[in-house]
Amino acid sequence: MAMAVLALLLVLAASGCAHYPVNTPLATFQQDSGYQFVQDPIPPNTNSLFVCLVFSGGGTRAAAFSYGVMEKLRDTKIVWEGVTKSLLDEVDCISSVSGGSFTAAYYGLFGERIFSDFRSRFLERNVQGELLGKALAPTNWLRLASPNFSRIDLAAELYDEVLFEGKTFKDLAGLKKRPFVIINSTNLANGDGFQFTQAQFDFLGSDLATYPISRAVTASSAFPFLLSPLSLKNYASPENYVVPTDVKLGIEDFYVNRRRYQWALNQLAYLDKEARPYVHLMDGGLADNIGLRPLEDAFLRTSGFIRSLISEGKIEKLVFLVVNARTDDQGDLSRSKSPPSLGTVAFKTATIALDNYSFETIEFMRDLAAARKQTQMVITACQKMLDKCMGQRLPQLAKTIDPYVIEVNFEAIPDSGRRNYFLGLPTSFSLSRDQVKDLVDIGPQLLDQSPDFKALLDSLSGN
Amino acid sequence: MEYLLVHFSRSRRVVVDDIFSGRTEEIIELEAGAHIVALGPPCNFTPPSIKIVLRDTSPLTPMEVTFDPV
Repeated sequence: MAMAVLALLLVLAASGCAHYPVNTPLATFQQDSGYQFVQDPIPPNTNSLFVCLVFSGGGTRAAAFSYGVMEKLRDTKIVWEGVTKSLLDEVDCISSVSGGSFTAAYYGLFGERIFSDFRSRFLERNVQGELLGKALAPTNWLRLASPNFSRIDLAAELYDEVLFEGKTFKDLAGLKKRPFVIINSTNLANGDGFQFTQAQFDFLGSDLATYPISRAVTASSAFPFLLSPLSLKNYASPENYVVPTDVKLGIEDFYVNRRRYQWALNQLAYLDKEARPYVHLMDGGLADNIGLRPLEDAFLRTSGFIRSLISEGKIEKLVFLVVNARTDDQGDLSRSKSPPSLGTVAFKTATIALDNYSFETIEFMRDLAAARKQTQMVITACQKMLDKCMGQRLPQLAKTIDPYVIEVNFEAIPDSGRRNYFLGLPTSFSLSRDQVKDLVDIGPQLLDQSPDFKALLDSLSGN
Repeated sequence: MEYLLVHFSRSRRVVVDDIFSGRTEEIIELEAGAHIVALGPPCNFTPPSIKIVLRDTSPLTPMEVTFDPV
């Protein structure tokens, strides 16, 4: 009896010690090291045709939708700079949220293997059921009783087992090739986006290399209430750490550029280690359910990887392809005389924020692209007038860019019955095989009917 | 977006906020706000850097900064 009690006490003590894997500190700071955008593309990829994919949130629905689009890009042959290749070969970066992060991370790690096993390993799997099974398994009850081990840690373990094979960001960085995969989550404290890149981890004094990909994807898809937040430690910065110059300068821009000021403020907040020794992350959709904001920053900021290539005159065609798996299932909420129940209010509170302003995020990117085109047209038109009158040369931009912002979205489906079917698909990690097939098939169809995608292909065929 | 034009007696890379960001005599498109402008190597120019606040410019009326050879 005494032995049984002792054994039980030992087990309780051991399980009380269950702890989430902690991110590691960064020993020394090295500019341009760790997981970040690879500056020199490996052929057949080029800088001149710069393609960014954006995968929104939406559980398996988003993962399947983005996967179908990737199949289409793989099957779309182009000729660029005299080389025949697939449009997928030219993808330089993928920014993803929640469900879209599974597809993005898997492709980043395993490349074309995604087309042979991602469907069976993830899309057609009842991931939700498996997560519930893990939570209900008696072997995990004691671990879950620990204050430092939670549902999100079980989810990360499952994703590591079934998908990511224990890979870390060191494995991703070691590939030394594009696409640069930006996995997005949300800092629960301030609602700001948090990206799993070394540049972001530099602010935490932490080394992203040792961090499991599965945990990043889990944070990105940590749906409010169903999963708990994922926690990171915010370490003292290495002695030689240097804050990026545009962050230091951005804090001066309160009256000149409020967006840049806010961005700088949010980054610098991580350097207050006393006030913020930990960072708690949840679903990336709480900050931005499209995943476009990091690319807007990369376009706008001096240190942005897209801006520096534009300034150096390396980009001729700039393509943003947004795969937006947004749905619009309002249910019977507005038909009911009685106010919604507490459960409904809780669910709506968790999900409304994920979709709000997604439209504006995409339109802002379109505005940036349109403004660049307009600038080029103004300079060209003025030069023509000067050539007629005086023969003087105006200063030119480094390169004329041909920008495209292409969105695939269920709302573009022409047939209303079919459109409502897709708009009513649930946000879950368990869909039927038929639903998965429909989602994989619709992406290519929407691209085929998209005037923006057709315009891109036409411009590439004339190259 | 805002616009910057950097002058120097020779064609040189321009460095903005410690990032290579185009060349002299070319329009450089940047976001509004405070920036530190310098030239790429060799360091035979003066001043070593110029701090600007970029606002109210247009593609045809960029802010202009000039470096002189040392």
